[in-house]
Amino acid sequence: MVWTLRFAGLACAGLLLSPVSALAGPKVVSGPGADPGCFKPWSAQTKFFQWDKKPGPYKIALVNGFVGNTWRIQMVKTAKAFASQPGIKENLKEFKVVSTGTDVAAQLGAMEDFINQGFDAIVTIAVAPDGFDRIIRLADKNNVVVVPFDNVLDTDKVMMVNEDQKEMGRMSAKWLIDESGKKAGDILEVRGLPGNSVDRDRHLGFREVMEAPGNSFKITEVVGNWDTGTSQKVTADALAVHGHFDGVFTQGGSDGTVQALMSAKHPFVPMSGEGENEYRKQIADHAKDGLKGMSYGQSPALVAIATKAAISALQGNVMPQLISIPIPVATYKDLKPGTNYWPDLNANFFAPNQFTPCGVNFTAPEIMSQSEKNTQ
Amino acid sequence: MLDDVAIRVRQNIGIVTAVLLFSILYLLYNLSHPKGFSSAVLVQNGDEIFALAMLAMAQTVPVLASGLDLSVGAVMTMVGCFASYLLTGVGAPLHLDIFGLHLGLGTFPGGMGGILLGIVICLATGALAGFVNGCVVVYGRIQPIIATLATGAIYIGIALFLRPTPGGKIDEDLNWALTNSLGDFAQTIHIFDDGAAPWFAPVAWIPVPFVLLVLIALLVWVPFRRSVIGRAVYAVGSAEGAAYMSGLPIDRAKIAAFTLAGFFAGCGGLFLAIQTSSGNADIPQAGAYTLNSIASVVIGGTSLLGGTGSAIGSIFGAMVLRVISFFFRIFDIAPLLQPLFEGLILLAAVSIGALGVLRVKNTLELFR
Repeated sequence: MVWTLRFAGLACAGLLLSPVSALAGPKVVSGPGADPGCFKPWSAQTKFFQWDKKPGPYKIALVNGFVGNTWRIQMVKTAKAFASQPGIKENLKEFKVVSTGTDVAAQLGAMEDFINQGFDAIVTIAVAPDGFDRIIRLADKNNVVVVPFDNVLDTDKVMMVNEDQKEMGRMSAKWLIDESGKKAGDILEVRGLPGNSVDRDRHLGFREVMEAPGNSFKITEVVGNWDTGTSQKVTADALAVHGHFDGVFTQGGSDGTVQALMSAKHPFVPMSGEGENEYRKQIADHAKDGLKGMSYGQSPALVAIATKAAISALQGNVMPQLISIPIPVATYKDLKPGTNYWPDLNANFFAPNQFTPCGVNFTAPEIMSQSEKNTQ
Repeated sequence: MLDDVAIRVRQNIGIVTAVLLFSILYLLYNLSHPKGFSSAVLVQNGDEIFALAMLAMAQTVPVLASGLDLSVGAVMTMVGCFASYLLTGVGAPLHLDIFGLHLGLGTFPGGMGGILLGIVICLATGALAGFVNGCVVVYGRIQPIIATLATGAIYIGIALFLRPTPGGKIDEDLNWALTNSLGDFAQTIHIFDDGAAPWFAPVAWIPVPFVLLVLIALLVWVPFRRSVIGRAVYAVGSAEGAAYMSGLPIDRAKIAAFTLAGFFAGCGGLFLAIQTSSGNADIPQAGAYTLNSIASVVIGGTSLLGGTGSAIGSIFGAMVLRVISFFFRIFDIAPLLQPLFEGLILLAAVSIGALGVLRVKNTLELFR
């Protein structure tokens, strides 16, 4: 705080009026939190928050960033469906959804608008892991609960909901090592959208296990942007240059990665990837040919859990600062048609969408078959 | 007298449309907002509009000289990344690790002096990037659209080099002071009795970004437009051959146009970094800002062919662009239909400006 014009005599008044000290917001309390089956604290060190209890029903807004890929559309539809579910509906006076694109100023503006409109909570996917200090400050001042999920913030000042991205990377690495039974070889890593905390953490977790002492894997890294087309293209390029890989870890657009392997007539190898239905279909079809696949899933239903967490916080319950959602995993050994993948459906969507302990009970096809009109 | 007004309106139909459209939309927005017409809402809108308004101004200048600048978003991003190192408010040693070399650049001062120095360096960096653009266009004799596509990639590259992952910690009070009302500004930097001085009260509600915007427009744009170089920029865009025959400094005008664009884009990047108190080499965002800057220029009544229009119009263009999305926060519009609505209103806005075409008596007039 060196940003001060030193006018003698004003220093004391300045201390009293400094906006930094005017923060309200959640109290840090000791656990355990409410409904631990659904709101599981991230670790033993996770702090617990408690907001002042507010009378319901609440006004909640979902401020999405980028819109335009399957995951985000499924997420928006899940949010709408969840908000009209009995048990949730009664707690909501208003549920508004906006998408601001990849523009941080627009997202900050939208969040501030909802704070000014007197909304009680804002659920959001941040467009960047940094840059929301001002909004957090304003939200705390106005007692608004902000819940980032999926792409969370690098701060411990807000309540957040996510799956453990590092663990996904670790799981993927363990899967490749266990299924190939080797501690060396050529591995292809298809990364996600650069500059994103999800991409970074999955990568770090993956490398942590692959590069552990005793292993000597040669890892080729390409960037697939979590997009089927891009992922297919960069995998094809990598195959053209390197010829052969012993295992593949793809962060997303997983069906594109498999498609590239098939087009290049590359033998199927152990693989781990995201939760796309198309990818799970490929695993089911080609497991016997050697596509020993694992599919973890960052579920679009995280939005439902984040909304539920916001309501719970507004009701005055003790909440973990960082809520960990179990990672839904399916492997070629336990894929069941109609349960964790849908062989007859062609539309692309993300298969894991159910979290029973949290009361999120609709399956992915139910969500994606609804037209936008029905979810109003 | 009335005739005179009518002629002026007809000559500036683009900007008049933008101002009217913005006024109507913004009035409606405030009427439907539970806290409409309050300082808080103005502040929030000012913060959201500022960076885009600066980029719209940036884009206007090269467009007036009939060249597009595709690097404005990249310059904004790069300057933002510089700012995230220079505006921390705590003095820190700066060093550069490149090609395995470790170069110490000395210690950057902290405190108020350090922040002011950082701001100057950031703005100079933006202007320098624009100057390079201008030189590539003029001396390289490359089409502006291609030249700036290439230099834009370089600037994004520098931004990624500076901030491979988002980060940095810009001084908290600087962030708070510049993204709030004048009252909060005075309170944070402890001037005018911490903003409580009685004479200060009538203006305390005005958002700082709004003041900055007006200052930049009045102190940078208006003098530029009235200078010989500024008029030469218009002349180049209107008829380059005629401008050359008239002995106008064409090369200097073009370089000045791009340099000013870089400066304005730098202002936008600086503010965005302060607003987010961090730096982020976000490529999709840089692209979105570049496209939106072009849209703002068009809505603001500047011809993409060059020669007519003004940066003030583009500010209103940017405001129209932003205000459309404000409505999605007030009214219930299906989330997946929002982009469609935005597109329709934009198309309508641009069409109003083009209505003049209907009154043209001779088609040849369209081909100036």
